[in-house]
Amino acid sequence: MWWKILLFLAMSAMIVASFATPAPQEQIGESSRIFYYHIPQAWICVLAFTMSMIYSIRYLRSRRIEFDDRAAETARLGFIFCLLATITGAIFAKIAWGSFWNWDPRETSVFILLLIYGSYFALRGAVADSERRAALSAVYSIFAFVTVPFLVFVLPRIVPSLHPVDSVVDVDLKFTMGPTVRVIFFSSLALYTVLYLWMLNLSIRIGRLVRSREEVES
Amino acid sequence: MDGNYVAMVVTLVVWIGLFGYLMRLDGRVKKLEEKSR
Repeated sequence: MWWKILLFLAMSAMIVASFATPAPQEQIGESSRIFYYHIPQAWICVLAFTMSMIYSIRYLRSRRIEFDDRAAETARLGFIFCLLATITGAIFAKIAWGSFWNWDPRETSVFILLLIYGSYFALRGAVADSERRAALSAVYSIFAFVTVPFLVFVLPRIVPSLHPVDSVVDVDLKFTMGPTVRVIFFSSLALYTVLYLWMLNLSIRIGRLVRSREEVES
Repeated sequence: MDGNYVAMVVTLVVWIGLFGYLMRLDGRVKKLEEKSR
């Protein structure tokens, strides 16, 4: 319980600090404050899809259905955070570039990622047999994850893009942020990670309850 | 009113709403888990 109170207080303090301190990037202006939310959301998206791939491998190795449930739950959270990152990115794009959507390489790659993981859920919904569904979606999840590093990290850097690439580190891997910005940013990353783990824990427990109820009924 | 202030209040309201929802859900799940044991 104590960590939930701590999470609540720390996240509230982070929100206040993100608006009460000077904008993180002066040349971009006030809209750069979205950076404290947009990057952690994108980070959780990558983390959740990575976890989905790990649980899928564990399912294929052990054939324990609970790993399939976990893979699906974390992929669902990854999809939600990916959508949130897309929405916050679109808000930034409207302010910075004048339009919500520009088919910029970063926007296009996130759109493709959403389609890939959207298809994962379509696949899960299309197969009725739970073991067959688990095996098929585990293999799909592993292949889907192969595209994540390419679409998130590689493609936007090899094609000219409007998206800022040196928000956290520059080409020499040195921090581009001041000390205050760094504290708020890394606090936000850590708090978003705790929030994600809490949400994942809850969805796994709900999934377990649903499965045990289905077993009792059948 | 300062735009930053409005954005901060909206973000805080969203966060408080999400936190309250998760706490309620956590409590309900705990109750159901105890029932099913």
